[in-house]
Amino acid sequence: MIDVSWGEQVVFYILAPIAVIGALGMVMARNAVHSALWLVLTMLSLGVFYIVQAGPFIGMVQIIVYTGAIMMLFLFVLMLVGRDASDSVIETLRGQKVAAIALGVGLGVLLGTGLYRGTVDLTPVGLAEANKNGNVQGLASLIFTKYVWAFEVTSALLISAAVGAMILAHVERRKDERIGQAAMMKERFLPGNYPGPKPGPGVYATSNSVATPAKLPDGNPAQRSISPILPLRELEPAEKADKHTLTGGHQS
Amino acid sequence: MDKLKLPDMDYVALLPMLALFVAACLGVIIEALVPRRFRNIIQLVLSIVALAVAMFFVVKQSGEVVASKALTAGGAIMIDHAALFLQGALIVLGFVALLLFGERSLEFGGPFVAQAAVTVGSERDREQTGRELGSTETFPLALFSLSGMLLFVSANDLLTMFVALEVFSLPLYLLCALARRKRLLSQESALKYFLLGAYASAFFLFGVAMVYGFAKAVDFKAIHAEALLGEGNSLLLIIGLALLAIGLLFKVAAAPFHVWTPDVYQGAPTPVTAFMASCTKVAAFGGLLRVLYVGFDGLGWQFTPVLGAIAALTVLVGSILAVTQTDLKRLLAYSSVANAGYILIGVIAGQQLGLTSVLFYLVAYGFTVIAAFALISLVRDADGEATHLSRWAGLGARSPLYAGIFTFILLAFAGIPLTSGFIAKLSVFGAAIDGGQTWLVIIGVITSIILAFPYLRVVVMMWLSEPGESTPSVSIPGGLTSTALGIGTLATLVFGVVPGPLLDLAEKASSFVR
Amino acid sequence: MTPMWYIVLSAILFSVGAVGVLIRRNAIVLFMCIELMLNAANLALVTFSRINGTLDGQIMAFFVMVVAAAEVVIGLAIIMLIFRTRRSASVDDANLLKY
Repeated sequence: MIDVSWGEQVVFYILAPIAVIGALGMVMARNAVHSALWLVLTMLSLGVFYIVQAGPFIGMVQIIVYTGAIMMLFLFVLMLVGRDASDSVIETLRGQKVAAIALGVGLGVLLGTGLYRGTVDLTPVGLAEANKNGNVQGLASLIFTKYVWAFEVTSALLISAAVGAMILAHVERRKDERIGQAAMMKERFLPGNYPGPKPGPGVYATSNSVATPAKLPDGNPAQRSISPILPLRELEPAEKADKHTLTGGHQS
Repeated sequence: MDKLKLPDMDYVALLPMLALFVAACLGVIIEALVPRRFRNIIQLVLSIVALAVAMFFVVKQSGEVVASKALTAGGAIMIDHAALFLQGALIVLGFVALLLFGERSLEFGGPFVAQAAVTVGSERDREQTGRELGSTETFPLALFSLSGMLLFVSANDLLTMFVALEVFSLPLYLLCALARRKRLLSQESALKYFLLGAYASAFFLFGVAMVYGFAKAVDFKAIHAEALLGEGNSLLLIIGLALLAIGLLFKVAAAPFHVWTPDVYQGAPTPVTAFMASCTKVAAFGGLLRVLYVGFDGLGWQFTPVLGAIAALTVLVGSILAVTQTDLKRLLAYSSVANAGYILIGVIAGQQLGLTSVLFYLVAYGFTVIAAFALISLVRDADGEATHLSRWAGLGARSPLYAGIFTFILLAFAGIPLTSGFIAKLSVFGAAIDGGQTWLVIIGVITSIILAFPYLRVVVMMWLSEPGESTPSVSIPGGLTSTALGIGTLATLVFGVVPGPLLDLAEKASSFVR
Repeated sequence: MTPMWYIVLSAILFSVGAVGVLIRRNAIVLFMCIELMLNAANLALVTFSRINGTLDGQIMAFFVMVVAAAEVVIGLAIIMLIFRTRRSASVDDANLLKY
């Protein structure tokens, strides 16, 4: 039996529950963005596990590529499509949730106990021998010998992914849709159009949020100063009240 | 540290894959450089040339397979008789399906949408439906997919197999989303196929991990040796095999992993459906055969009952649900589920007879199903294809030729003598009786009878109903569709009347090298 | 403690992901659950790599990451495509295809 070091045990007992909590949090969080963040937590703990288990390279790749790139792609798309990404709780199939959870617990127990019993009498070898020339060197010598064909074939995967993203996301502009500089300027200075830049949001002593409108000279809020996708923030009475900033705080 | 040495690469063995791969890359470049109106013909010619080159090298190798030299590319690829047969079948079926991809005469711009990114139902979308040329990226995607399939049937370790599975699946997900008409349906089918496909491949991967834990390696020879040895804990192996099987049975559309089939077959553009129904089935069964017969051979007694139950369930689900369908594409989808079940019966039968019957069935069914979908793409009205069953009533009076061909194809699906379907079913059932699986044969025969009912209903509807107002016209097919239709129908007839040569070929191919 | 506990952990994570796919509706969250399953498989691969004393498991985990990256690109592109039309990422709204 391999000697699992004291330090590794501590790492495992701290991070394993965190990984499970992250997974459960992802499944249970109502908001999709929260789900993504929970999943990031799980992935980070797994990255640490890889490093602890003599796989420093794969651990760093897990953290940099998986967590840093792939999950951020998820967040990007979530921000693009899912502003109201909270899930509905209405069940379309009656009892599906209960059945699925029962099925899942069954699968978990079966896999967990099965795998424990399946692996408990294995004698771990450890990677000291395989890693003796360095972990990265060891991996490289496998990728470029035994798995070289699979490695080459992944290029097909990446090309199809790139082509696919182009097809599904890119709209070609037609010739008649392109407008020249002259036409653009004419449109800009058309009567009824405001040619200058839009005013910035209001900056006050009480609030400098982008959701606070700037004020026009007559004291009305300038609607153009906040982005249309933001809800207009209603000022509370306390905020609306005269702060006497002009009179230096003295009640007149 | 010693220098790395590139393993022995037998480039002739890899050439079929390389040819398709290179052609696909060239296709992507063509998309960037060539004006839109020339793209279709150039892509089509390029694809056909690539397929011809690939086929040439497959045939060239088939005469000179040496068991000791079959392993190449660092042990990742096994070129044995079965692999070559499956590769050849994939290339030929892929060629016929690609003819449908290139058809431009049925409607303006071909079967694919011009710009998939344009929002469905917008002003721009209505304009592009009738007026813009379809996208031709579909050719490189199909070639990528085909090269993945060629790798899938010849992979010798589970990692290569997993990568190949993804290489052939990802382009298919994309192709499903590119229909010119009924685009929402098409996009939904892509989403469903993608999510369920990714789910299944996650199971496959976990299975790979378990098998790796058991055998300390992922190539089939080592797995086989370890499984025969019986040391180690076989619990790990059984869990691993079960999870692997889930991933593979999803691809072959066996119940209960078939739920995606009707939706995807209906929503995807018809040429893509034809491609999936023929080529994906060949590739997936090729992979399944290799896993079961090369890797897990020693475990036969353990997986046979489970696979038998799945095969029985599959034929039952496929045939019974086919009866209730009112859409032709869905009907053919359920029929394809049932056919997957029949092929599974052949897989379970085992021995050389079973393998021969499976290989024969795959090729015969592939040709017939392409012909069927080619015909479906011909029957159309102003909104595109008219796939609802009621719309086909009275087609016999309108165009007896096509109704006649479709009747012949349906009879082949039903397994009437003088069609390839009959010989295929006969050989599968014969092999199953030989392999001691009589109960499966009984279920198979009963479901064949159930399945004949929906086919005959279509036939009766076409010939015995009066053509109504809503009976769509049958478009005069262009050269490409008629070629595909002709090849498919002719193959169905020839393999039914003189099945000998193909059976011989399949028998010669029915041996795996370990 | 033995390294086997990592395998048990990976089985738990895998099951949580598998359940998540069945109970969640948002296509993106569903896809995240699938990513969790792939990660669980990776943990098992890396652990077996250590138990077996060969680096093949780590290599496989590496390939899985490449595959996952390509898969994510295509999956998210398809989800975006549907969202543009439907303004919803719920898989329940994708219900045109019913028998």
